[in-house]
Amino acid sequence: MVLFWQECRMNFRTMLVWAFCVGGLCLGCLLLFDSLGDSVGEMSEMFSDMGAFSEALGMDRVSIGTLEGYYAVEISMLLSLGGALYGAMLGAGLIAKEEEGKTYEFLNVHSLGRSKILCEKYGALVVMLAVFHGICICLILAGFAWMGDMPDGVSFVRYHGAAFLMCLEIGTLCFLLSALCRKRPVGASVGVAVLFYMMELMCRVVPALKKIKYVTPFYYCNAADIFAGADESAWLCGMGIGAAILCAAFLAALVVYEKKELM
Amino acid sequence: MNAIEMKELTKRYGKNRGIQNITLAVKEGDIFGYLGPNGAGKSTSIRCLLEMISISSGEACLLGQRMGTAGGNGEKRILRKVFNRVGYMPSEAYFYPAMRVGEVIKYSARLRGLDCDKEAGRLCAILEVDRNKRIRELSLGNRKKVSIVCALQHRPELVILDEPTSGLDPLMQEAFFDLLMERNRDGMTCFLSSHVLSEVKRYCRHVGILRDGELVKVDTVENLTRTKLRKVRISGPAFIPQMEGISEVTALGDGFSFSWHGEVAALLEALRGMEVKDLLISEPALEEVFMHFYSNETSVG
Repeated sequence: MVLFWQECRMNFRTMLVWAFCVGGLCLGCLLLFDSLGDSVGEMSEMFSDMGAFSEALGMDRVSIGTLEGYYAVEISMLLSLGGALYGAMLGAGLIAKEEEGKTYEFLNVHSLGRSKILCEKYGALVVMLAVFHGICICLILAGFAWMGDMPDGVSFVRYHGAAFLMCLEIGTLCFLLSALCRKRPVGASVGVAVLFYMMELMCRVVPALKKIKYVTPFYYCNAADIFAGADESAWLCGMGIGAAILCAAFLAALVVYEKKELM
Repeated sequence: MNAIEMKELTKRYGKNRGIQNITLAVKEGDIFGYLGPNGAGKSTSIRCLLEMISISSGEACLLGQRMGTAGGNGEKRILRKVFNRVGYMPSEAYFYPAMRVGEVIKYSARLRGLDCDKEAGRLCAILEVDRNKRIRELSLGNRKKVSIVCALQHRPELVILDEPTSGLDPLMQEAFFDLLMERNRDGMTCFLSSHVLSEVKRYCRHVGILRDGELVKVDTVENLTRTKLRKVRISGPAFIPQMEGISEVTALGDGFSFSWHGEVAALLEALRGMEVKDLLISEPALEEVFMHFYSNETSVG
């Protein structure tokens, strides 16, 4: 576990910055709810009648006139997108940084073995994402408590579970990219996160693209669907596909790294 | 037992040459110099040995363990344990820039599951390593010193050194080789890849010479410098005889210098009757033997 702890230590500060930026933004937006006052109600009415656009943002299912609805439509988007970007960048750096910084020789002359190196680094990815989400959840709950209106517990847990899995899925896909590359694929990893987000918007707006909802992890962590109590079996199916993609990406990363020529 | 064994070891990079059919054995307790110019295949051989790159064909063994061909994961783990008995110093010493020197040294020991604090402290004192500095603040020479500590702190049975002295000042080079000799007396095998001939001649017992990815000669340093190759300096004549065995001819103010590969008696016979004022025939330095391998296709007998 020496490598695991070392990776956690090396990534801890960056994780704190991301967690307090994303979580702090969510907290700030929650605290702004009261000051938005009537304008939120007007927006709610206006957006709920905008067809595909309001469907894409989830405003046809929950009202942003309530704190819970406002959280499900507006704030969850910040957390999902911020978390996905953080997961993508973390995953992209973990393996390729060794070749980029030419530290692979130092690491690989110890008796760890490549699969152990990969597993310990992946363990660090899971833990860093879990702590990131933990901090964000604490800040968000503090915001709800300050506002004196707590969200529905089951929906809240379901959404955050889905958001964690989504970030982990994107992080794992970028971890695979990192195993394939000799330099940190920062641009590609951000591109993966943004592409999945765009796919989720598109599959809700364009009926012909509906099937891509099974590909993008943003679909199963849509807070508006979860808080509105949408079809549970579809949500579980999405989570299952996400978990399967995650496992496949991790196994592919193991195979790729075992065969990689380190030079 | 051999500490290092390569049998017909070949590595190809697509259509490009890496190393070809290298067969070599380094005995336990030996200090072996692995010589060759840049791009000859020294680092490629080492990377094959250390499983950083795959082997195209042939075999590579470290301390009796065959590398790069293990089957399942369990077997692989057992094989990797041999790395706890090996120290490696890469030609470019890179570490994590934000870490402190002391942290890197400790991290390396902990990755091996060992506590090497005492030996690390002794090595740091000898090499004057400041353990509180961050890696990013270090020059190449100081990073090399950290690399030496990481390679030797766990008292390995075999140490593989890839151009170890580049960047080290002469005093540190001396201290470094003193350390190696001390460990060698305790039984440690050294595999020293270098193109600094003077250090190979001074410290190594056996030498392997690589050219264009192929091992062209393996012998003791003593035998290599005791070949039929002679360095000849002749004053007086306006020309030298055109004959087989003469190479690397250089015109001097009052004569010539050239390499002679053959019996000295045959050379003297050829020079008979010429107007020779002075003649100096000397054994070649290792540098000259080395250069001879690169300037001629034929090997030195």
